[in-house]
Amino acid sequence: MGRRRRRVDRGAAVGALPEAIAALSRTLPAGPSPEIFRRAKFDRPEAAPALWQLLFRVLSPLSADGASASPAQEAQVRAVKSELRSQGYPRRALAQLPEDGSQGSRELLLALAWLLARGPLLERLLAQTRVRLGDEIPLCECEALARPGPPVPRVEADGPVDIRHLQWLMGKLRFQWRKLITSQQEQCALLGKIHSYTRGCHSDRSLGHLSVAETELLRDAEGGQQLLRRLESENVCLEAALRWRRQELVFWRWMDTVLGTCPPEASQPTFVPRIPERGAGEWELVARELQALQEELRGAAEPRRAAWEARVGGWGPEWSAVQRASREAVGLELAALQRAWERGGAAAQPHGPCRLVKSDAGASGGPGLRAAQVIEVLRSREACLEAVLCQLQRQCRQELARLAGALPGLIWILPPGR
Amino acid sequence: MSIVTVQLGQCGNQIGFEVFDALYSDSHCPQGLCSKRENEVYQASCKERFFSEEENGVPIARAVLVDMEPKVINQTLSKAAQSGRWKYGQHSCFCQKQGSGNNWAYGYSVHGPRHEESIMNLIQNEVEKCDCLSGFFIIMSMAGGTGSGLGAFITQNLQDHYSNSLKMNQIIWPYGTGEVIVQNYNSILTLSHLYRSSDALLVHENDAVHKICAKLMNIKQISFSDINQVLAHQLGSVFQPTYSMEGSYHYRRNPLGELMENLVPHPEFKMLGIRNIPQMSENSLAYSTFTWAGLLKHLRQMLISNSKMEEGIDWQVRPPLSGLPTLGKVSLNRELHFNTSIANLVILRGKDVHSADLGGFKDPALYTSWLAPVNAFNVWKTQRAFSKYEKSAALVSNSQFLLKPLDTIVGKAWNMFASKAYIHQYTKFGIEEEDFLDSFTLLEQVVASYCNL
Repeated sequence: MGRRRRRVDRGAAVGALPEAIAALSRTLPAGPSPEIFRRAKFDRPEAAPALWQLLFRVLSPLSADGASASPAQEAQVRAVKSELRSQGYPRRALAQLPEDGSQGSRELLLALAWLLARGPLLERLLAQTRVRLGDEIPLCECEALARPGPPVPRVEADGPVDIRHLQWLMGKLRFQWRKLITSQQEQCALLGKIHSYTRGCHSDRSLGHLSVAETELLRDAEGGQQLLRRLESENVCLEAALRWRRQELVFWRWMDTVLGTCPPEASQPTFVPRIPERGAGEWELVARELQALQEELRGAAEPRRAAWEARVGGWGPEWSAVQRASREAVGLELAALQRAWERGGAAAQPHGPCRLVKSDAGASGGPGLRAAQVIEVLRSREACLEAVLCQLQRQCRQELARLAGALPGLIWILPPGR
Repeated sequence: MSIVTVQLGQCGNQIGFEVFDALYSDSHCPQGLCSKRENEVYQASCKERFFSEEENGVPIARAVLVDMEPKVINQTLSKAAQSGRWKYGQHSCFCQKQGSGNNWAYGYSVHGPRHEESIMNLIQNEVEKCDCLSGFFIIMSMAGGTGSGLGAFITQNLQDHYSNSLKMNQIIWPYGTGEVIVQNYNSILTLSHLYRSSDALLVHENDAVHKICAKLMNIKQISFSDINQVLAHQLGSVFQPTYSMEGSYHYRRNPLGELMENLVPHPEFKMLGIRNIPQMSENSLAYSTFTWAGLLKHLRQMLISNSKMEEGIDWQVRPPLSGLPTLGKVSLNRELHFNTSIANLVILRGKDVHSADLGGFKDPALYTSWLAPVNAFNVWKTQRAFSKYEKSAALVSNSQFLLKPLDTIVGKAWNMFASKAYIHQYTKFGIEEEDFLDSFTLLEQVVASYCNL
C-alpha cells in the first residue's frame, strides 16, 4: 500500500514538472516547449537557439515589442551577454559561449532561472504587454531614460564636412520637434473632445466617459473582435502565470538538480570583460592617448595649483574657513536642487503610463492623481532644468567672450537670435 | 492643420482679401479635372486650413485684420461680405482712427506696445477656433509705415507667445522707384527684425508682379487689385492641397511645416522667392495647352537665370559644368548670371501630373555644394487642376533670387544713413542709430552668406 502511494506520489510529482514548465513557458514571450527545458538540463545543443531567443526577448522587451524582425543570431547572442553582464550575472561560462548560438543550453537555463529568481520578471513582462483600453500618458520617463536606445548609425564623412550642412540638419530637427509638439497639442484637444462627448457612456461610474479605444470598439465591429481576441490571449497568459505561481516550487527543486549536473567552476569572483581580438590595436592607441592626456593635464595643473596656493597664502586658518563656507554653500545648493526636483511628492508619482480620465471640476477625490498635482511637479522640474540651462548658457557666453577677447583685431558677429 | 493669417496695413488687408478669395474660388471651381469625391476632399482640406465654420454655413476666413485707419479694413470687410460666398469674422478686426504717416518707428515703438494686448487677444481668439494650429501667415509691406513697423512688432510677439507655431511673413517688396523717401530705412529695419523672429520670409516683388500683369496678362491700366490677384494666384498655387507622398491620394496635412522643413531650416537663409507658370489672362486660358516638359523646362530656366516670368527668359545662362567650382564668391560688381539654389520646392497641379519628369531640377549643378539634390529638392503634386489651369507649376526657391535686390536696398539705405538723413524721425520714437547699425550688420551677413553659396 505504501509502495503504491509512493508511486502515485512520484507519478504526481513527475507530471507536475512539465505542467509547471508549460505554465512558465506560456507566460513568457517566445516560451519554448517543456521538452526544450528537459534537453537543456543535459546541455543538448539543439535546445540552445530557442533559449537564446527566449532570453533575448525577455531581456530587451522594449525593442522586441515593436520590431517585427528580430536581429540575427549573433546579434541576439551579443545583446543577451551584454545585458546579463550589466545586470551582474556571475557565471563566466555563459560569457564564453560561442556567438553562433549553437551551444550552452544548460547555461542559458541557469541564466533564465537566475533572472526569474532575482526579481518580478514575469510581472514586469506581463505589465509591459498589457492590453490597454484607456488613453494613457506616461508620467515619468525614468525607464525610458535608463535604458539606452538602439545604437545610432554612424555615418562616416568622406572629407571635411561643411558646417552649413550641420546647421541645416539641426534646423530640420528643430522644425520636426515643433511639429511633434503641435501634433501632441492636437491630440490633447481631440482627446478632450472625445472625453467630453462620451460623458455618461461608460458603465464604470468612476471613469464616466469612454477612451479612444473604447469609442473605436463601438464604431468598428471588426476592431472590436480583434480587441476581444487580444484580451482573450492575455487572459490565457495571466491564467498560466497563476498556475505557475502555484507550481513553481517543483521547478526550483528541479533547477537545483540542473545546477548539480554542471561541472564545478574554478572560483574567480571578478569578471574580466574579454577584449575582442581585432580591436586590440585600437585599445592600445586609446590607452596611449589617455596616458598622454593625463601627462598633459598634470603638466598644466601643477603650475596652476602652485600659483593659486601661493596666492591663497598657504593653508592658513582663513583658508579652512573659506573651504568650510564653500562646502556649506555647495551642500545647501545641492539640497535645494534635490528638494526642487522632488517637490510635489515624487515618491507619490507612479512609474509607467496612467489612464487619462476627465472629471468635472470639484469632483471629490477618488483614486489616482489630480492633473494639477502632476503639473506642479512637472513645473518645478522645468524650473530646475531652466536654471541649469541658464547657467550653461552663461558659461558659454563667458567662454565666447573670452575667445573674442583673445584675438584682437577680429570682429565676432554673433548669429541673429534673441 | 490650420493657418491663421494676420493682415497688416493697407497692403496686407488688400492682398489678404485676394488670397482668401482665390483660395475659395479655386476650391469651389467646377473644372477641377478630377472625380467628384476627390474634389470634395480637396475642398475640405482647403477649407479646414483657411476657413472656419459658422452655423449658417458661410465659411469665415481664419484671419485677423489690423490697420491704423478704418478705410481699407471697412472696404475689405464689405467686399468679402458682398460676395456672399465667404466672409471675415465680425470681431476679427482692429483699427484705430489715425494713421502713422509711414513712420516705421512709430509703428514699432508706439502703436505696437499700445495695441499689443488687443491685437494678441484677437489672434488668440482665432487660434482657439483651430483644432490644430500649423502656423501663421503675416501679410505686410516691407517699406510702408504701419504695416512694416507694426508687423515687425507683431511677429516678435508671435514668436514669444506661440514659439512652437510656424511663422511665415508674406513680404511685399516695394517698387524700386517707390514714393516713400525713407522706404529703404523701413525695409532694412523690417527685414532685420523679421529675420530674428520669423521662420521664413516669402518675398513678393511689386516690380515683378507688375511686369507679369503688363506682359502676360495684357492689362492696360494696372491697378493694385490686379497685382494682388496675381500674387494671390501664386500663393494659392503653393498652399492649396497636394498629395502627401508619391503614389498616395491623401492630401498632406501640414504644407506649411513641410515647406519650412524643406526650405528654411538654416537660420541664415530664410529668404524665399516664388515663381509660377503659366500665367495668363482668363480669356487666353481656353486657347492654350501645355506639356509638362515645356513648362518645367521654362520653370527651370526661370530659376537658373533669375527670371521673374516666363517671357524674356535669358536662355544663355547655363549651370556651371560639374567638377568646376560654382560661380560663388563673385563680387557683386559683376553681373551674377547663374542663380545658385540652396533648396527648391516645385508644386505641380493638373492633368497627367505623375508623368512629369523633374530630372532637370535634380541636377547637382543647380545647388550649392553642401546640400545634395536628394535633400535640396522636393516636389508636391496633385492631379486636381488649380484655378482652371489645366496644368500649372509653381516654384518656391531658397536661392540667390533676392541677393541683388537686397544688396541694392542695403546700399541705398547705407548711403542715406551715412549722411544721417531723416534719422531724427526714428530716434524720436526710440529707434536709435545702434539699431540701424545692428540691422546693417545682420543684413550684410545675410548678403554675404547668400553670395558665398
